Amino acid sequence: MDLNNRLSGNELQKNLSGQPGFGNFNTQHPQKWEDPSIIDYSMRIEPPFRGFNQVKVGQDGLVNELRPTNKIQEWDPSAMLSSFSFLEQKIHQLRDLVHLIVGRRGQVLGRPDELVTQQQQLITADLTSIIVQLISTAGSLLPYVKSTHSAAPPSMGQFGQLGGAVFPSIPGLNGGIQLQNTSGSKVSNQPNQNDVSANCGSEQNHNNEEHDLKEEEDAEEGENLPPGSYEILQPEKEEILAPHTHFCTICGKGFKRDANLRMHMRGHGDEYKTPAALAKPHKESSSEPTLIKRYSCPCTGCKRNKDHKKFQPLKTILCVKNHYKRTHCDKSYTCSRCNTKRFSVVADLKTHEKHCGKDKWLCSCGTTFSRKDKLFGHIALFQGHTPAIASEETKAQVGPFERREGNQVTNKVGSMNFNFSPNASSESGVQNIMNVKGNIDDPTTYFSPLNFDNLGGFNDFPRPPFDDSESSFGFLLPGSCNYNQKSAADDSNNLA
Amino acid sequence: MKRQKRECPESSNPFDVLSEEIIFMVLDLLEQNPLDKKAFSLVCKSFYATESKHRKTLKPLRQQHLPAVLSRYPNITHLDLTMCSRVSDASLSSISNACRFNLRSIDFSQSRLLSCSGLLGLAQNCKNLVEIDLSNGTELKDSAMAAIAEARNLEKLWLARCKSITDMGIGCVAVGCRKLKLLSLKWCLGVGDLGVGLVAVKCKEIRSLDLSYLPITNKCLPSILKLQYLEDLVLEGCFGIDDDSLGVFKHGCKSLKSLDMSSCQNISQSGLSSLISGTEGLQQLTLAYGSPVTTSLANGLKKLSMLQSIKLDGCMITCDGLKTIADWCISLRELSLSKCSGVTDEGLSSVVMKQRGLTKLDITCCRKITDASIACIANLCNSLTSFRMESCTLISREAFVLIGQRCHLLEELDLTDNEIDDEGLKSISRCSKLATLKLGICLNITDEGLMHIGKGCPKLKELDLYRSSGITDLGILEIARGCSDLEMINIAYCKEITDASFLSLSKCSQLRTFESRGCPLITSFGLTAIAVGCKQLTKLDIKKCHNIDDAGMLQLAHFSQNLRQINLSYTSVTDVGLLSLASISCIQNITILHLKGLTPSGLAAALLSCGGLTKMKLQSTFKWLLPQPLLEHLEARGCAFQWRDKVLQAELDPKCWKLQLEDTVE
Repeated sequence: MDLNNRLSGNELQKNLSGQPGFGNFNTQHPQKWEDPSIIDYSMRIEPPFRGFNQVKVGQDGLVNELRPTNKIQEWDPSAMLSSFSFLEQKIHQLRDLVHLIVGRRGQVLGRPDELVTQQQQLITADLTSIIVQLISTAGSLLPYVKSTHSAAPPSMGQFGQLGGAVFPSIPGLNGGIQLQNTSGSKVSNQPNQNDVSANCGSEQNHNNEEHDLKEEEDAEEGENLPPGSYEILQPEKEEILAPHTHFCTICGKGFKRDANLRMHMRGHGDEYKTPAALAKPHKESSSEPTLIKRYSCPCTGCKRNKDHKKFQPLKTILCVKNHYKRTHCDKSYTCSRCNTKRFSVVADLKTHEKHCGKDKWLCSCGTTFSRKDKLFGHIALFQGHTPAIASEETKAQVGPFERREGNQVTNKVGSMNFNFSPNASSESGVQNIMNVKGNIDDPTTYFSPLNFDNLGGFNDFPRPPFDDSESSFGFLLPGSCNYNQKSAADDSNNLA
Repeated sequence: MKRQKRECPESSNPFDVLSEEIIFMVLDLLEQNPLDKKAFSLVCKSFYATESKHRKTLKPLRQQHLPAVLSRYPNITHLDLTMCSRVSDASLSSISNACRFNLRSIDFSQSRLLSCSGLLGLAQNCKNLVEIDLSNGTELKDSAMAAIAEARNLEKLWLARCKSITDMGIGCVAVGCRKLKLLSLKWCLGVGDLGVGLVAVKCKEIRSLDLSYLPITNKCLPSILKLQYLEDLVLEGCFGIDDDSLGVFKHGCKSLKSLDMSSCQNISQSGLSSLISGTEGLQQLTLAYGSPVTTSLANGLKKLSMLQSIKLDGCMITCDGLKTIADWCISLRELSLSKCSGVTDEGLSSVVMKQRGLTKLDITCCRKITDASIACIANLCNSLTSFRMESCTLISREAFVLIGQRCHLLEELDLTDNEIDDEGLKSISRCSKLATLKLGICLNITDEGLMHIGKGCPKLKELDLYRSSGITDLGILEIARGCSDLEMINIAYCKEITDASFLSLSKCSQLRTFESRGCPLITSFGLTAIAVGCKQLTKLDIKKCHNIDDAGMLQLAHFSQNLRQINLSYTSVTDVGLLSLASISCIQNITILHLKGLTPSGLAAALLSCGGLTKMKLQSTFKWLLPQPLLEHLEARGCAFQWRDKVLQAELDPKCWKLQLEDTVE
């Protein structure tokens, strides 16, 4: 499922352009409240879409009157403008919706209550989205108020990425958005499939955690370059995902390494056989001081993206590739031994396969670790997890865990995202949708991508320490987390 | 009480008018002698019932009777199973079913064979369990720890010498028992940084942590020092902790009151000073057998204004170091310098000058100390309650007179192996509060000095006269007359002692420990007197009392029902005596080497009938003479065998013995 689900940047763009009427979704109100699943989809607008959307809107002239006088300042006025237009559009929608409800009230009188609650949920959801958008728009100004010269990176124009508009991030932004990114792309493909599958969502969360740690380790050893002292390059998604980076100008064959290309070129004629042609191309002019190159991840909202408040640049293009695959891509490589662990980078798979089966350090949540210190780090982090002792006397083990089984399952799914069984996926589906509900409405900022435990029944496992943003907007959505749980779970199964 | 009246309406029992609470208060006063309560409960039915309700603590001798005993005593909160060397699953389940919510504390510290399923049942059923002592559970595995982790309300846990436990087991405990306040992991050699670190992360309420001899390193220290309530930290013998990276800790643990860093060989003054920086409230510091105490190390103590006790046993101490300590400490109460090389008159005097409030001083084996220091101590430290000065060989007999004249508050005095004579003893007899007096290997004292002690020190509880060969029956008679509270006496190798001494000592009804090794004149008659008079007797050593035979054993078996430990080596006891001894139900520890009249079959019969035996020291020839299945059976019952292969030794004259001792010392 993951392969289908996870579209490459290329496809994604095609899909986008193939759906010119994106804005139209939002205006289809009657359909919307008859089919609740669409709500999700209309709200799950992710950054590339945002950009796209706003351009559309702008071109449609819906908000032209807002545009004119704002000259380019240090903050990105166009971004703000697009937020406004988005807001306006939202408010319009909402107004229409309420109108409709009012208009229908007479007819609806005899209808069952669920319709009314659905409507309420709809309105609440939309209101939430508006509030979130407002806050994020306001928040986008914050960085500029504080430091005027941390403005939009210079290379932005050159790299003209998918979204075009890059939203300044606000505090609390975190790497979890991409989950919704991909779901969004899927949405555009199949309007009725409203959600990213539970499984892949949970995987990604897990993925993010894991590799953020990894990368942080990498980065920590590295320098602390002051912003502006280096040049930021941001390769595009296609470039990152392309299998080859060096192409033969004659036959078009692609290579991973330049050296291989040079070897290949020898076959095209003697002129490529000269030592000069075979030699490693020189670094250009070492005399003039060139800026150090650092790389940014193309995913908006990612910590490795140059617009992130705490941007941490990646050192090499290889780092970008690995980071992007690990963090924002599907884990398509499954370990052939355990059939459980999945990886997005082949090298990671190989590293894992070397040690697979040797994982002897087991946590009560079912996770295995190859190193004891990793297990203890894990246990120190999560409340209620304990070392599982592989004992000959099973009695001692069975007792306590049987009793806690109910909790155990939800916890596994909720806080750890390890369980891939279809059983659990329905629950994790709820989780994720819930999660998304809290966050989706602001396309650029997701306050807490990891706030997966605001459901009841998690008291036994109080939230992990890093999750301090207590479901920023969950309270605005009473009960909204339930209404499409079935379909989400079904979809995930279908996709799988 | 109403109930009682219904049972016997015409009863004129005066206890009927007393409420149960008042009877309970009376019973509280009978705590000292367990037999008294037993006698009380046997008076009548109502007394029996009252006593059953009153009893809170239980120390059963045998696990077999646990179900019956527990149903008799429904209000047990503390269960001491140290007498049961083996506690079976059945017993554990009967405990966990009988004492469901009452049980708060349980002691398994001598039970080596516990199953984890039994422990799990206990932890799950007894929800109010607060204390568990599992020390010496060398067979306990991580799975047992997982079971213990189910006791969510646990506050105190002792796991000393549980060598098979690893980080995983401790991890379970750390996660499960979040309320832990005290944890002892001494000698848990399988537990390292990770386990200890996790305990520090999860159990935030820990107040007392014993990490002695653990293979831990500096890695777990940061999280330990972050414990907010930690008061007592023992890091004795943690060789993995060193100076490197200790400098990182700029803020030590503020709540710390007691720190023990004994035998931490890799910690020098720099590491120590960074470790104790910020611990202004430190009251007790133990640095025994560590790096040399120099000025720079002592300077580290500068900020510890609350320091009351310093123990530097076995350290090399410079004179300047001692002076610096004296300068920095404001009000030292306790100073221990035993076996410190480098303690001189100059250094010790400088401490005593500044710290006049000292109550406890230990200068054992400080062999450079002379009369000058003693004069100083006696003149300035009048509030001394405990003074230990074993083997201070340069001190002359006149100095001891000074101690007696000035230090009237002394409760404990150790003068072993010193030159003290009768004059000194006469002076010391002024210390009327004296409870412990050790006069071993004091060859200059005689009955005359001892008479003064007997008259002047009525509170004496412990008297050690080991190899003080000048003592005869007269001296002992005076002691027995004057010191009726005597609980422990050692008259080993006082060869002049006869049955007369035993007769007089039999008046000391509180006597619990009696050592009379190598008193060849003692016979079974004297022993009988002790057995009849001293009902509390728990430890008896009559090794090399050749004249004691089966007659003495028969009487002992009959009267000394509290006897736990006995040494019968080199006596004339035979199978008969040993068999009768086996009928004492408390007996746990027997040493019988070179017993001529002992046959393998007699020994086997005695061993079989000693149900509670935990330790048996035997001549190694018996290892082959006893049937193997019998030994296996006894070991399964919880008895450990120690096989000795000692040759018969000729006895030496005391003076000759001391000369020999000095030769080996030098």
